[in-house]
Amino acid sequence: MDKSKKAKKPLTKARVIELIQSYLMISYKTIGIIVFVFLPLCWILRFCVYKYKGYGTMKFVGLYQFQRAFQDEVYWQSVKNTFVFATVKLCFEIPIALVTAFLLSKKLRARNFFRALYFLPTLLPTAIIGVIFTYLFAHQGGAINELLKAVGMQPVEWFRYGNTAMAMLIIASVWCNFGTNMLFFMTGIGNIDPTLYEAATVDGATNAKQFFSITIPLLGPVMQMVLMNAFLGSLKVTELVLTLTSGRPNHETEVMMTQIYSKFFSSTGAKDYGYAAALTVITAVILGFFTIIYLKTTKKSAAVLD
Amino acid sequence: MKNISTVEKVVIYALLVIISVIVLIPLAYTFSASFKSNQEILAGGINLIPRQFTVEGYKEVWNMAGKTLKDKVTFADYAWNSIKICTLTTILSVVSTSMASYCFSRGNFPGRKFLYGFFLATMFIAAGSITMYPQLQITSKLGMNNWWGVAIIESVGASASNLFLTLGYLRTIPKEMDESAKIDGCTFFGTYWRIIMPLSIPILGTLALLKFKGSWNSFLMPRLMLASDPTEMTLVVAVYNLAKGKGTATAYNIMMAGSVLSILPIMIVFVLMNRTFIEGITQGAVKG
Repeated sequence: MDKSKKAKKPLTKARVIELIQSYLMISYKTIGIIVFVFLPLCWILRFCVYKYKGYGTMKFVGLYQFQRAFQDEVYWQSVKNTFVFATVKLCFEIPIALVTAFLLSKKLRARNFFRALYFLPTLLPTAIIGVIFTYLFAHQGGAINELLKAVGMQPVEWFRYGNTAMAMLIIASVWCNFGTNMLFFMTGIGNIDPTLYEAATVDGATNAKQFFSITIPLLGPVMQMVLMNAFLGSLKVTELVLTLTSGRPNHETEVMMTQIYSKFFSSTGAKDYGYAAALTVITAVILGFFTIIYLKTTKKSAAVLD
Repeated sequence: MKNISTVEKVVIYALLVIISVIVLIPLAYTFSASFKSNQEILAGGINLIPRQFTVEGYKEVWNMAGKTLKDKVTFADYAWNSIKICTLTTILSVVSTSMASYCFSRGNFPGRKFLYGFFLATMFIAAGSITMYPQLQITSKLGMNNWWGVAIIESVGASASNLFLTLGYLRTIPKEMDESAKIDGCTFFGTYWRIIMPLSIPILGTLALLKFKGSWNSFLMPRLMLASDPTEMTLVVAVYNLAKGKGTATAYNIMMAGSVLSILPIMIVFVLMNRTFIEGITQGAVKG
């Protein structure tokens, strides 16, 4: 790094070639990001102060759209739903991932088989997971209700009530996400000094004891990374909700992203681009807040460039 | 790792099997329902083996995919669309990510730090689907609402973790290597082409696999971008439209047959290369 700081290199022919090559090699990504990521962000920032329904003229309305947004109960309901979803989901997902990782860190012959099996659901397309769970949770003929009946419980109308629909989203999401976190934990556990476990075994500590007094405390940094990563990912949940419940019933499973989506792409014709842009800005601020915490705690951005 | 007693082993295996059953139930019932008749599904029962084995669902999926369109588009055409888009996405993404991270890691040009910050900031802010609408406005203005347009969008997309993955790997290649190449007369690109790129083949393979999977599974963007020409639709979107379309809303056997067919390719790839997948995921996040 010091070298390039010092270097006001003379513009020799070789240096010119190096510069041209550098810029050419990075041009695809740079142009792509400017056109397809940066410009859209500017578009959002511009439109959030206008009133525009997709036809006619745009009218400058200042902060009116934000005023509307702050009084929009459905939007704040969706913010609340998002956080409920993310929190409850993590309460199940993280312990399951941690316990499976701990079990799989033992010397077992079938270790790789189980690891691959638990990881498998994370590879499936979210839209198809939505389709699959639509069938599994179906009131009539759905596998979950049939299983409940088989063990003598009442079948549930999962799609009908807010709580059960949310529970369904959480189950589907934990099912298809815990495998990734399990892998992170496995790497973390793999980095723990094995002599600690050996000493604990000699001292007669049980597995449970080892788990709580060695594994969990020493997983600190990995735990932080996994928690933040999973939380951030859950706040951005979009496709699963769109394909499984579409926010029904009565907006009770609506999340931040699906609110924005429906304002932009509503099929009922109630398009409201200025307002949608304002909601996008608010959502981006909420997400940005947690992203900054994530980057700070994991020191990701800084560590990469030397 | 240490050796463990037999009792422990039994307990651990018992737990692992219980978790496996829970993980497998959704997939097992999906697979089973795809071979049942819809009447049998609606009648209920927890039998995994169909009382009457039928491939009606699969037949319907294969043909119905084209029923609503003027031109006959079969399942195979949608699969081909997906393969086309995924392949181009993967190539564009791997080449551009590899070159960009080489420039960030080894480059020495004005604006390097600024560009890196710019990349990261935009990627993190635009993550998720919040900029989808303006993106669509731009792609339709540029006339790229077609298969290669989807590939370009997906290859550019917000993929900070892929950048971290390759950057992290490049750091493990000693700088002496490129310096000696330079002394031997290699240009900046020459060093990349002869030294760095060949050395980073393993990570590029991982990256390609992850990107291919991501692109195969991608849903909202291709669905919106290809809306004007349904014959160009990708497999996942076509299966979703079929499954959740009005006429088939409760034809679960068709829904499940479509689901099985659309996840089969990715599952086969995973069975063959699950280590590469798994290493890619862990390297990207933990070592980043």
